[in-house]
Amino acid sequence: MAKRVLVVDDAIFMRNMIKDIFASGGFEVVGEAANGLEAVEKYKEFKPDLTTMDIVMPFKSGIEATREIIKHDSSAVVIMCSALGQESLVMEAIEAGASDFIVKPFRAEDVLAVVKKVLGEA
Amino acid sequence: MTMDMSRYLGLFISEASEHLEALGRDLVQLEREGSSSAVDSMFRHAHSVKGMASSMGFEPIAILAHRVEDLVDAVRQDRGRLDRDLVDLLLSASDTLLAQVRAVAEGRPPEDPAALLAQLGARVTAMTGHAPSATRVAKVTVLKSDGDGTGGDDPGGGGGASGSGSSGAGGASGAGSSGTGGSSGSGAAGAGGTSGTSPSGTGGSSGSGVSGPGGTSGTSPSGTGGSSGSGVSGPGGTSGTSPSGTGGSSGSGAAGVGGTSGTSLSGTSGSSGADSSGSARGHGPGASGASGVSGEGVSPGAVGAESRGASVGPVSTGEAGISGTGPPAASGVSSGSGDGASASGAPGSGAGVPPAAPRLSAPDASTGGTGASSGNLATGPVLADPASSRVVSELGHALKAASSGPLPGDAPEGRSTQRWAVRLRIAPTCQVPGVRAFLVHKRLTNLGTLLDLRPALEELKAGRIPDGYIQLELETSVGDTGIHASLKNVAEVEVVSVKPAIALPIALPVAPPAAEGARGATGDSSSRTVRVRTELLDYFLDTVGELMLATARLREVGKVLPETVRPALEEGVYRLHTLVKDLHDKVMTARMTPLSLITDRLPRAARDIARRKEREVDLVITGAEIELDRAILDELADPLLHLLRNCIDHGLESPEERLAAKKGPRGRVLVAVKRARDRVIIELEDDGRGMNPAKLKAAAVARGLLTPEAAARMTDREAFMLSCLPGVSTAKDVTDISGRGVGMDAVKRVVENVGGTLEIDSEPGRGTRFTLRLPLTVAVVHLLLVEVGEEVFGLPIAKVVGATEADGDALSRSRETALLPHGNSLLPVHALDMLVGVPAPARQGLRPFVVMEGDAGRVALGVDRLLGQEEVVLKPLSRPLDLLPGLSGVTILGSGRPVFILDVPRLLSA
Repeated sequence: MAKRVLVVDDAIFMRNMIKDIFASGGFEVVGEAANGLEAVEKYKEFKPDLTTMDIVMPFKSGIEATREIIKHDSSAVVIMCSALGQESLVMEAIEAGASDFIVKPFRAEDVLAVVKKVLGEA
Repeated sequence: MTMDMSRYLGLFISEASEHLEALGRDLVQLEREGSSSAVDSMFRHAHSVKGMASSMGFEPIAILAHRVEDLVDAVRQDRGRLDRDLVDLLLSASDTLLAQVRAVAEGRPPEDPAALLAQLGARVTAMTGHAPSATRVAKVTVLKSDGDGTGGDDPGGGGGASGSGSSGAGGASGAGSSGTGGSSGSGAAGAGGTSGTSPSGTGGSSGSGVSGPGGTSGTSPSGTGGSSGSGVSGPGGTSGTSPSGTGGSSGSGAAGVGGTSGTSLSGTSGSSGADSSGSARGHGPGASGASGVSGEGVSPGAVGAESRGASVGPVSTGEAGISGTGPPAASGVSSGSGDGASASGAPGSGAGVPPAAPRLSAPDASTGGTGASSGNLATGPVLADPASSRVVSELGHALKAASSGPLPGDAPEGRSTQRWAVRLRIAPTCQVPGVRAFLVHKRLTNLGTLLDLRPALEELKAGRIPDGYIQLELETSVGDTGIHASLKNVAEVEVVSVKPAIALPIALPVAPPAAEGARGATGDSSSRTVRVRTELLDYFLDTVGELMLATARLREVGKVLPETVRPALEEGVYRLHTLVKDLHDKVMTARMTPLSLITDRLPRAARDIARRKEREVDLVITGAEIELDRAILDELADPLLHLLRNCIDHGLESPEERLAAKKGPRGRVLVAVKRARDRVIIELEDDGRGMNPAKLKAAAVARGLLTPEAAARMTDREAFMLSCLPGVSTAKDVTDISGRGVGMDAVKRVVENVGGTLEIDSEPGRGTRFTLRLPLTVAVVHLLLVEVGEEVFGLPIAKVVGATEADGDALSRSRETALLPHGNSLLPVHALDMLVGVPAPARQGLRPFVVMEGDAGRVALGVDRLLGQEEVVLKPLSRPLDLLPGLSGVTILGSGRPVFILDVPRLLSA
């Protein structure tokens, strides 16, 4: 069964790109969210196998959202989408329970490699 | 795999433009009100644009956005840094970015604004004490059809090699250029940065690498701190002094340039490092549990769980209770999403009182987890598979360790901890080895106690990891398999070796559980919306319009049917009509867009004009949330802007004049939007010098647009409207910004084309008010249908003043033009058949005249017959019909007859 993914990013552009990457890797994107608040809601709704989480977002940051998701479900697999220069934020996210991270700009194969590794498929 | 980025181009253009426009708005708002939310949202906008542009491979855009992000970030740290010049600089940057995005939209590569970049870079350096860091951009060619993704990778590898090998050179060159302008420095660094996916950012930016450490640590680590700290260190490295061994990449780098030590990055990471040990424990189960999601992951999850149970002891229970997660339970729940699993897991966390309880429940939970996951992920067969004996053994470990009792197949590690020497390597391709190392550190800390870590944590976090090798000793009860398992799912890490070191008895410092207060949610959840292309909405509306016409046609047809079948058909038609009408309303609603879409741009425009004209303006906008048909909004953007310009440029006086006139030095422009039944009223009002009707009349007469007699009869209000005639301007100085009369005719025409009206009211010395009355939608218009010869035309009721009958031959004449008495004035008469070129039989005696508003006063149109009023769905004209002056649209009557709608003023001036 295809692993189910929730994509969180405030930019539709990024969401579409990430969704396409997952689709190309045989994943099923079950939902998307445009901010941290929505992310937590959607996580509870979809219970995805994996969540990709942008950091800088309106209303609630990806770090806060990760913290809440992990609090809700400590086995949640949250992968941070970061950019160079956000190292300290990513570390904060790891403290908050993020499983791993990817760095923008993404390359599809890198993203899939990390994701598969984290899900134990590689 | 190569991604075809061109498919995202459209989204990039629209979304980046939105972000940039919002950025400009926020800036103006920030300057005015100083709200911190504006800074945060500016940062997000810049950050988003950078991310998108770098993904698309638009390097100039990405770099520019990166600089803006840097500057906004600096402002975020210290609001006092925002001055007028910086706002100007940022505004011009956002304008340039918009222009770049537009260039991309037009299929051109975005320009590289070197001068602006240099300015921004210098500002970044001045504000942050270090040169701007490199911007990483994906190697994509979107504008050409053949994109090569692989080409992008290879340079990365190359960069890596050169990063370590010739780091000295890299550092030096980086220093040279970045020293000059920061921007070009970034260019150089950027080049390095892009090519070297991971290492380059390093080599290039961490000119710090110049020194000894650069060679080794240059490979990967520096990229991390690199972005902030080491970008600087390039220059620092050149001077060669500061690399200071390994001291602190960011610290040393910064010192090289500005003499300020320790950038904020290192500071923060330091503090979070302190936290890390504390909270790592609190989150431990999260990480381990997380891996439990996957089939095989079950065991590592359990291992993590057990480690706390066994090692931490009573405290761990409390913690589990608090966090309410209970590590084992979690793995059971999520991986299985099975009720059974969660049920068994629950007690583990819930009970959490006696120290013994978690130990006992932990294995339950983990087994539950397995069971559940087998349901979900089909690990059942996997377990049976000999190949997965590893999984089983790991599970065994976990169970055994968790229960801390003797379990078959394992004896030595059950209760006692053992010390392991672990050697790891972070993959050289890793872009942010510091973060990667931190992740590893966190995973291992969850297993037990880290005794000897090399490089030290601070070094790790800063990314200074020679060749990526990390050594440590870990005291844990999970054994080597547990260690392997905990790192198994971490990307870009290779476990080189795990060997036993000296075993020690348990001596664990117990860190207090990190309190995990749920932060209050702020802001609303964003509304659920989708994006629809405007053309699609147009299509919907068009189709619904067709449906309405078809319904009307059916009704017409029904009228001639025999009595017996008619009621049934009429009922059906009635139902259809209601449905279509309903659908039409919904489609119209979907097209409604808040006026803020265009009024949001006004503050920025006001600022620009005011600065150029050295005026002081307060712009107040109210009612921008009121919605209008998108089609009208699109038309209104320019007219509103023009009116605003007029208000500021000509309406408002200079501060000195205002003081002399006993007004405050700051002018005020009010844009008030109101809804009045089915119309929207927009008022633009300034408190400036006002307009002089006598001067307007004189100007119009002087230009031969008005007879002195007519001028004398005119009311002031009518006289103000003269400013909308082409060429009538009372402004003494027609500036580059505006001049009354320039464009006012266009404003009036646009407003009327969408079915609205424009009124001007003014009082000398007190100010001017423009009032736009607009229909909510252009799509439905009220028409007066008139017949000329064989043809039927529609005249917009909004422009019709009245109708009268007169004998055309008996009218008095002034030169060629017949004059129709109407009220107490004489109106020029135009025969519609002549205007539209339709042959009509000569007629005698009384004929109807329609009195309409024209550009220069009222006119009378001679027609053959008045057919009545009708509410119709307006359809825009397509090429080439739309080129004909005087036609504003077409509609189809219930009879199926197409009817053109006339734009009389245009028709008269054509």
